[in-house]
Amino acid sequence: MAKVSPFALGTALAIALLVSITVAVTIGPADIRFDEVWRSIGSHLGIGVSPLSELRDGIVWQLRLPRVLTAAAVGAGLALSGAVMQAITRNPLADPYLLGLSSGAALGAVSVLLLGAAVLLPLAAFVGALLALTLTLLLAGSLGAITPSRTVLAGIAVSALASAITSFVIFWSVTGDSYREVLSWLLGSLSGARWPAVGITMVAIIVIGIPVMLTGRLLDSFAFGDVQAASLGVNVSATRWGLLAASALVTGAMVSVSGSIGFVGLILPHAVRLLVGPGHRALLPLSALLGAVFLVWADTLARTLFDPREIPVGIVTAMIGAPIFAFLLTRRKSST
Amino acid sequence: MSDDNVGDSMGAASLHNHSNLGDDSGLVAERIRVTTDGTLLIDDVDCTVARGSLSALVGPNGAGKSTLLRALTAVQTPAAGSVTFGSNDLLGMPRRQRARLAAFVEQDATTDTSLTVGMVVALGRLPHQSLWEADSPESAAIIAASLETVEMTAFREREFQSLSGGEKQRVMLARALAQQPQLLTLDEPTNHLDIAAQLAVLELLSSLRSTGVTVLAALHDLSLAASYCDHIIVLSHGRVVAAGATETVLTEQLIADVYGVTASILRNPVTGKPVIGFSPA
Repeated sequence: MAKVSPFALGTALAIALLVSITVAVTIGPADIRFDEVWRSIGSHLGIGVSPLSELRDGIVWQLRLPRVLTAAAVGAGLALSGAVMQAITRNPLADPYLLGLSSGAALGAVSVLLLGAAVLLPLAAFVGALLALTLTLLLAGSLGAITPSRTVLAGIAVSALASAITSFVIFWSVTGDSYREVLSWLLGSLSGARWPAVGITMVAIIVIGIPVMLTGRLLDSFAFGDVQAASLGVNVSATRWGLLAASALVTGAMVSVSGSIGFVGLILPHAVRLLVGPGHRALLPLSALLGAVFLVWADTLARTLFDPREIPVGIVTAMIGAPIFAFLLTRRKSST
Repeated sequence: MSDDNVGDSMGAASLHNHSNLGDDSGLVAERIRVTTDGTLLIDDVDCTVARGSLSALVGPNGAGKSTLLRALTAVQTPAAGSVTFGSNDLLGMPRRQRARLAAFVEQDATTDTSLTVGMVVALGRLPHQSLWEADSPESAAIIAASLETVEMTAFREREFQSLSGGEKQRVMLARALAQQPQLLTLDEPTNHLDIAAQLAVLELLSSLRSTGVTVLAALHDLSLAASYCDHIIVLSHGRVVAAGATETVLTEQLIADVYGVTASILRNPVTGKPVIGFSPA
């Protein structure tokens, strides 16, 4: 099967990402042109003067751009986490959402938010993600050998519990529109994303995501299992737990600004594998890039499809992701 | 089996290695003990494999062959004991350095990933490369040479999972060779292979001697072990019960003691090599 060159695909995706970000910023009720977006961004970076009125410039710089950039970072982070988890657990169905990390992270975030400690949000989300992952793996392990399907089943249980507690906590404490609040945490929403969200997610991508992207060769060594990896000189347990913790950290940072958006981590690594093959040195960065492009457009759809009403972006990703998940399940029907 | 048996047959094989740990000594394991979940699997095992030899590790199911092989290559760290190869402390040395010295081919390795043969063999270069450096021309040459050695060059772009058992085993062997090891250990490399593929694997292993690689393979088939291997280590219930030159160690009496069957050692009229026939005790 002819594969695409990873370098060519990477270049194409990087260009696609830049174009997507700019185009996505132009889309919305206020009509703003492509070149105006660039000149407005330029003016804020100290180059030239914005061609837009103060209000329209505010729409670009204060609302749309941070939201689109957050979408890109969240998409990249979730896709990267999914690719890493799939490799390290040798489970093609692994994904931060299906394994309960996202719901755990949302619960952690909601808990500190209501305690009024918003600064700790990403940290609490990380702790929530890590606890949920541990619980999922313990539960899957107690069912017998840890198979992909058992892990997903355990993830569903953990996820259901974490989501229920999250909803309960919000209904209990939020006054006003608690339904909207619950939905945005459980289904994911980027409607509240401003510059602080860009900061949190970008820091997570740069500080954790990029080093993780360089571990492709280590992940390749897990293809035949732990014994083979160990015989190739890999510190198996340090690599496994280090990378799972890194995935939880990235997931936590993303969920703390977006709620739990599903299926991004599941489907995009599979798409990249179809295009360039299973080697992780190409798979990790390309999954992140494709995840970024994907979520920019999914979120654009979420806010424009039923304009002026907005739907949680998680609905869009689930509409696309759930059928693909079902397809992946049928491919594995012979195993438990 | 008596303790005398252990002493007698261990003597010849282990003598020079205990006194001289110079660079030319082969694999020397002393007082290896492995426990898993509180069960003692390997009990105070001493064994040696002469450098450049092809040696067999034999014994009934459950004797601890796989466990011992894993302990010798530090894939599973033993609870006690020491393993050296030449002047290298295999258990104490850094992992990557060890993986450049010793390669291990596990039994029936499987993967869910759709790797090509070339990618599988390239895994063997992992201990020689940093995480982010590009594949060097030298690495590419070594991968090509490894595939050539196992005669799988034409399969390079084929998907690993689509291969037959014998082909897979040769690819795994090429992967191990790409590590450029001085010591190669294999767990049941002829498992599930047809006769032709079994012989092909043993011929390959035996040809490695000329390149100076020390090979230790766990084998089920005593006739194969007897015809191809210079030395043999017999394991039973987690202990070495005999070790030394194949001809002296593998007697009808020993097979009766260890396996509980009656054995007749015959000669293959074509090759002159030993063939072992069995009947119930």
